[in-house]
Amino acid sequence: MAKSSSVAPESRVYRWLDERLGISEIVELAGKKRVPEHKHSFWYYWGGITLFFFLVMCVTGVLLLVYYRPGDGAYESVRLITYDIKFGWLVRSIHSWSANLMVAAAFVHMFSAFFMKAYRRPREFLWFTGIGLLSLSMLFGFSGYLLPMDELAYFATKVGLAIPATIPVVGPWIADLARGGPEVGAYTVSRFFALHVVVLPAMFVPLLGIHLALVQKHGMSIPESEQAKPEKARKTIPFFPNFAMKDMAVWLIALNVLGFLAAVYPWQLGPAADSLMPAPMDIHPEWYFMSSFQILKWFGNWFPGALGEFLGIAVFNVGVLLWAIVPFFDPEKRSGVWGRRVTWFGIFVVFVILLTTIWGYAVLPAGK
Amino acid sequence: MNYPVWDVPVIGSGWTIGIIAIIHILISHFAVGGGIFLPMAEAKAIREGRKDWFPALEKFSKFFLILTGVFGAMTGVGIWFSIGLANPEGTSALIHNFVFGWAIEWVFFLVELTLAAAYYYTWGKISERDHLRLGWAYAIASIGTLVIITGILTFKLTPGGWLAFAGTGEEPHHFFEAFFNAGYLPSLGLRILVCVSLAGIWALVYFGGMDGETEGPTKEKLVRWAAKWILPAYALMPVFALWYYTTIPADHRELFQLGVSTIGQGAFTHVTRMALMAVLSSATIALVIFLFAWLFPRELTRGQGLAILFLALLATASGESVREFLRKPFVVNGYLYSNGVRVLNIDKVNRVGYLANSPWAKPVTDTTLPSPEIGLRMFQGQCMACHTVDGYRSMKRLAGGRDGKAIGSILKILKDHKPESPYYKYMPPLVGNATEIESLRQYLDIMANGKLTSPVVDTRPKPVKAGVDTTVVRTDSAKAAPVADSLKVAKDSLNVASKDSAKASAPKASVDSAKAVKPKADTAKRP
Repeated sequence: MAKSSSVAPESRVYRWLDERLGISEIVELAGKKRVPEHKHSFWYYWGGITLFFFLVMCVTGVLLLVYYRPGDGAYESVRLITYDIKFGWLVRSIHSWSANLMVAAAFVHMFSAFFMKAYRRPREFLWFTGIGLLSLSMLFGFSGYLLPMDELAYFATKVGLAIPATIPVVGPWIADLARGGPEVGAYTVSRFFALHVVVLPAMFVPLLGIHLALVQKHGMSIPESEQAKPEKARKTIPFFPNFAMKDMAVWLIALNVLGFLAAVYPWQLGPAADSLMPAPMDIHPEWYFMSSFQILKWFGNWFPGALGEFLGIAVFNVGVLLWAIVPFFDPEKRSGVWGRRVTWFGIFVVFVILLTTIWGYAVLPAGK
Repeated sequence: MNYPVWDVPVIGSGWTIGIIAIIHILISHFAVGGGIFLPMAEAKAIREGRKDWFPALEKFSKFFLILTGVFGAMTGVGIWFSIGLANPEGTSALIHNFVFGWAIEWVFFLVELTLAAAYYYTWGKISERDHLRLGWAYAIASIGTLVIITGILTFKLTPGGWLAFAGTGEEPHHFFEAFFNAGYLPSLGLRILVCVSLAGIWALVYFGGMDGETEGPTKEKLVRWAAKWILPAYALMPVFALWYYTTIPADHRELFQLGVSTIGQGAFTHVTRMALMAVLSSATIALVIFLFAWLFPRELTRGQGLAILFLALLATASGESVREFLRKPFVVNGYLYSNGVRVLNIDKVNRVGYLANSPWAKPVTDTTLPSPEIGLRMFQGQCMACHTVDGYRSMKRLAGGRDGKAIGSILKILKDHKPESPYYKYMPPLVGNATEIESLRQYLDIMANGKLTSPVVDTRPKPVKAGVDTTVVRTDSAKAAPVADSLKVAKDSLNVASKDSAKASAPKASVDSAKAVKPKADTAKRP
């Protein structure tokens, strides 16, 4: 077991606070919790990185709320934030970049959990809540994308909402509900705004709470290579201060990446949306929807008409469902036939996502 | 490659140099800092009887030798290749001025490489005292390379009194005036501090790979000692940075001050954003080293060391970007613009022509009439040092949404190069005769719009009365034929001439040109 250093503040302020708040007891309790330490420990930090970007989004989101106006004035208010309000461009850039980085970190977290078999008994609900959180994150992205109401946001949302509209029976109703009318417009912005700042956070925060509570309950899973070692040969470090301080260091590195992107590539605002203008040639969804967008496009090409759209959505949803219920196929601690099959399934999914995303960008027509 | 023009798609030649240079700086500064670190660590181990340090230091010196001797040297040569291709005129100017400086640097470099190898291969084979002497000799040689190169680098922004001799043929005789320029000492101080910090950071990368279980006490001492190497930079860097700032010429400092003065309004320039990024990442490095290495030295991993190095990369990239950006629009301040045009030659080039004066431009068959082909050569010569067609600082994007007339107006602003121009502080003047400027306008028009969108101007001098503007709008559609031919050359270069469109575009362009040349009373500049 690795020897741990201890941080034992002895200052008067600490003693004063400790007497009133019982900090020592909390620290002692946190010190009892231990985190596995092995060659794959790197992947343990990705959940924390995702959480960090979420917290940054919350703070910058509140700041943007001060000036943002949903509805008809949406574009003008974002223009004001970007060009006139002090540090507005910075807050908006950090918000947008952290949203993208959060989804990217969540994907890495999910795939690392998948390949380390962290969904196995008794961590099934950790997996389910994680999938739920990633889905909500993507919905955050989709709903937030429209809010500036610039040209790209408008047409991308229009295309995006055309996808659920193809679902038989309920599809048109879902699309109408999201749009707030026959066309994407000011009502759509209001609805997406409500979804973005009220509905989704109201769903996300409790689910995140459950996810974190389950991490505390079950602890971090260890990969099979570590499980094979005898109990005494497995290394662990205290959660506090060792892992917590390292997590803090990783957050600082994440902050630098965020700062660098916001400084070098401040988020741009395109021309105002105009429904009478033709859609730009290079219209495309955010990168995390590019894979599904490309798959749907393929099915549309292979099976022209409603059948192609329906088949595309059906295949895509079956894939997502299979991914979500993977703990039921591979529940045991040791990999059997199903364990190996699931690993191959994961490799296949990663391959398809990467291929279709790259392909999607490669075949994108040149913009203006 | 389109020799002698270096067309790097997407990222452009500037970024190519930048990427190679940033990697080189991370390694070459370690070559200097590590040269101080190793003998100091060895001396400490001898003094304090820490024999357990020797095996770790020996392995570290092997890592040091490979990294600096192979990758440092490779990226150094890479810089030479890339700057020579991207800005041959600038490279030529520096070589002519500093040929002996560089010769001295290469001597130091050769000595440095030899001693680095000798230092590694003599561990345990010669006496401790002699081995330590080798280490110190290496340190002196490596500091020598820094002492030389810093003078050449800082000269570019602060050439000072040397400028009085620029263009006289006497420049190399004023080597010391150029070398010991105003920015030299503070920059040397800053770079030494960076070298020392990077020595500590690279040591953390290396010692992070030691086993905390079997080599616990040694690892703990070495990691904590390496972590302390970041401290001198934190104590002294603000002092040297401030000193360096005072040496920046006032008109270049304005670039920075504009951003600083607008921080209150929240709108600051690229250079200020990058400077703040350098401060953020530098400050964060100390905290991350404290959290990763100082608190838990035995648990430090190679991955964590690399994460610290990544922050150093961000800090270096940001800092170097600021240094480069502050010199805009010059390669050598007051002497040579970033488009390779010498300040002293501007009048001549405007009169005689840019292509006739540029040894690096590809020849053009017909230079009597404006054509997109001439425009392409102008673009390659004067724009591509900073812009790409459709990648970094894309001209397609920057010119997009503008018709030929608007593009012409911008080119006029760039050519006039008046201090009140918004481009004055960042961009060099556009140079060339009327035919070349009109050609560039046509080329950019095609790039932005796929065709010519405004009348083609015949820039040939007309035998008319004195005092009359000789620029006329071409009225003979037959003369549009050369335009149609060269249009294809330009389109090929823009990669828009696919098999189908090439066939379709040439006649279409002729039609467009024919339409464009329709006489218009308001555009014909006749009295």
